[in-house]
Amino acid sequence: MKQKKPWWKQPGIQIAAVLVVLIVIGGIVGGIFLTQTPPEQPIAFPHDRHVGMGASCLYCHPGATLGPSAGLPGIEKCWGCHQQVQKQSPELTILAGFVERNEAIPWVPVAIQPEFVHFKHSPHLNAGLECSTCHGDLTKMTVAEPQKGQNMGWCLQCHKNTAPEQWTKLSDCATCHY
Amino acid sequence: MAEVSIAEKWGLVVDQDRCTGCNACVVACSMENNVPFTGEDNVAFGRGTYWIYNKRMWEGEYPRVAPAFQPVMCQQCGSAPCEPVCPTFAAVHSEEEQINLQVYIRCIGTRYCANNCPYHARQFNFQDPDIPEPMNSYLNPDVTVRSKGVMEKCTFCVQRIVGGRQTASAEDRPLRDGEVTPACVAACPSGALVFGDLSDPNSRVSQMAQNERQYKLMDELGTKPKVTYLKGGGRNGG
Repeated sequence: MKQKKPWWKQPGIQIAAVLVVLIVIGGIVGGIFLTQTPPEQPIAFPHDRHVGMGASCLYCHPGATLGPSAGLPGIEKCWGCHQQVQKQSPELTILAGFVERNEAIPWVPVAIQPEFVHFKHSPHLNAGLECSTCHGDLTKMTVAEPQKGQNMGWCLQCHKNTAPEQWTKLSDCATCHY
Repeated sequence: MAEVSIAEKWGLVVDQDRCTGCNACVVACSMENNVPFTGEDNVAFGRGTYWIYNKRMWEGEYPRVAPAFQPVMCQQCGSAPCEPVCPTFAAVHSEEEQINLQVYIRCIGTRYCANNCPYHARQFNFQDPDIPEPMNSYLNPDVTVRSKGVMEKCTFCVQRIVGGRQTASAEDRPLRDGEVTPACVAACPSGALVFGDLSDPNSRVSQMAQNERQYKLMDELGTKPKVTYLKGGGRNGG
């Protein structure tokens, strides 16, 4: 008499299990690839060189002190320096092309918040936070890279650790969501 | 139920003797808070969205009939009936601002809160907002555009409160009385609406809330509303 196979040796179950594992792995890899890899920028902007030379973050992203968004520099800001300095480089020819055509540089924003989060830079700067606390060490990046694991728990963890006496205010839903 | 001491914070005073029923508050609120316009048909079905509405009542006997207006918005109850019924904690009480919040991203649209609200202050989005092309430029970036299946209500313009608080702390000073105003208060041409901090006894809103004409809407329910109505009933120039 032919012995019945145990359930985990049934070919249907095995194929289904392999499919489920493949789908889960594909989802994880795809999710990481789509959210954790830096998007392609029109100009491979070398942050490391600019920050390394001592340029202030706020010189190119002055919106951080004024409004919710830090802003990305336009052709006037870039060309203001690069008209004079360092003209010979393949990336700067791209920039010169944008300036010649009088086009805005189509930067791809990397540090973005979902629409239901109302993040403002100014309270964080006033609290004495460094840019690198959230945006990573820009001296080691060329184009800006998305930072890993920046979810609500991460926000609240920092709120709790840096200002425990203001926990009521900093854990209030209305501080970020309205 | 044990009595819990409720910390007073933001409060609103509505002087009905001053209200002319112009509905500027309704318009200002809709523009500030991206409240979608649902159209005549939906309003007829009871599916209109408005965070503040102006109740009109007729007083007196013919031929001496006079209209009386009562702007009604979320009363930001200290002991709110909407909060304990929410299964997802989308309707939560703000400990900092002492108002009722609606966290849109948590809301799954059970509508328990609206059914439990005695003031008809909560509106449900029965459809996605339909905003035609030039009008989307008018949307307020500080306020989330709610999608279909989400409950919404007056927030006392919490985006202005948070913004004012952050501006004040950036300039290292306390918030001044009257610095933060919701859109309805800013728009009211007759000064019938006054907004401020009830925990400060010297603020204009605290002074007005102690007026002898004051009453709270459905105070007998024990909801501890933060909105005070003033109406003289013909005695004090009303």
